[in-house]
Amino acid sequence: MDKVLCSVATRGRYFTSLPLVLFAILNQTKLPDKLIIFDDNDEIQDMRKEPLYQHIFSILDFKKIDWEWAFAEKKGQHHIHQRANSLGYKWVWRVDDDAIPEPNVLEQLYTYATEVSKVGKPIGAVGGSILTMGMVSTVDQCTGKIEDIDNEPNIQWGLIKESKFVEHLHCSFLYRAGIHDYNLGLSRVAHREETLFSYGLFKKGYDLLVIPNCITWHLKSPSGGIRSETKEEMYHHDEKIYRNILELGDRTPIVLNCGLGDHIVFSSILPDIPNPIIYGCYPEVLPCKSIAEAQETFGDLDQWNIYKKMDEWGWKGSLEDAFRKLYQC
Amino acid sequence: MLIIAPYAQKLRNGKENPKNYPYWKELVQEIQKNEHIVQIGLEGETQLVEDFRKGLSLLELRELLYESWMWVGVDSFFQHFAWKYNKQGIVLWSVSDPLIYGHDKHINLLKDRSYLAPNQFLWWENTEHNPNAFVKPEEVLYHLDYKTK
Repeated sequence: MDKVLCSVATRGRYFTSLPLVLFAILNQTKLPDKLIIFDDNDEIQDMRKEPLYQHIFSILDFKKIDWEWAFAEKKGQHHIHQRANSLGYKWVWRVDDDAIPEPNVLEQLYTYATEVSKVGKPIGAVGGSILTMGMVSTVDQCTGKIEDIDNEPNIQWGLIKESKFVEHLHCSFLYRAGIHDYNLGLSRVAHREETLFSYGLFKKGYDLLVIPNCITWHLKSPSGGIRSETKEEMYHHDEKIYRNILELGDRTPIVLNCGLGDHIVFSSILPDIPNPIIYGCYPEVLPCKSIAEAQETFGDLDQWNIYKKMDEWGWKGSLEDAFRKLYQC
Repeated sequence: MLIIAPYAQKLRNGKENPKNYPYWKELVQEIQKNEHIVQIGLEGETQLVEDFRKGLSLLELRELLYESWMWVGVDSFFQHFAWKYNKQGIVLWSVSDPLIYGHDKHINLLKDRSYLAPNQFLWWENTEHNPNAFVKPEEVLYHLDYKTK
């Protein structure tokens, strides 16, 4: 069976919603294969000394849930999610530290993810309703398409009555790991990180689903949380990257921040990539925009670093095939 | 006419690139007995033959490639370039893996896979140059002779 990692990124919520989240996870009807709590607090504490957490850890052990408390880099939750994304699990269930899933959530998400994949395109991610009391929207008419994102409530903010294919997801969801990278060019606030990530999966040809009977309660709080940064320029910075990526539409960004030989090898697969927009270093090999422009547009170029990718994949095949894997062609 | 592309990119730490073949002088001496050699490369690289053409454009390199009957080089951009234009040559390998960076079309001479760098994806600055990691000129000449026959 495909393994599921449950990843919880936390900051400023040791004694508020985090224990509730952990209890909700250990009460799932389908348990994850592993739980990692990524602690992104500025001042970290050893929670093994806290009686409440001693109980939680004991119950996790009793239920034989493999768990780990990992200290994060304090760079924002997108870095945490990328760590989880690259740990080798087939699926990652990302749960926010103020999002309390009903007991059936993982089972529902996983069932849809695996069953729908058998009959259609592979599923990239599945989400349920993320409900904040007092702010529940009517979402029956919502499309969940990226082109409508500014004109409709997020489809997950309401009670989803039937499953629907969408183009982006929000907050907590189950996703197929190792397919698309989180954008590490975002600031620490990681504004729009999950939209960019889920939309990236969609653009790589994977279906995204929202499903009914799958509710996570969002205990939205003015304090704490992984987004407790308040600097406005961070939001502006991230919003700009987000808009830049949306503006690309159906174009496939190609970033060749690598050597001349790599450009030449890549050129052999270019005809197989639909509607490419190329950023590179050698316009004499491939007409391209500059790497500086790519940096400005995307904020971070690591997701296209073919050497980093080959290292991550433990690659043994040819460079040409590695490019094919990276660009899914 | 035969082309040699003797050097890989210069390293930022000033050390010898571990992909650089250590026996060019001996090899060139032998080939020159029967063959005109054109060396391609960049300003600042050691000149091995009289006809050293520096800083050629890709267009000029392509023309030269078409004029040649054969080329010999290390694992540098030129082996990819020749592959793109379907021109077989001999690549002299040492620490980089021909299964990853090479092309079946070429004659890939690797002495032994035990000399390959354990991590193929780091900067080559981290890898020491080891003359023992390369095949000897005789082996290259053997393959050149085979090609002429």
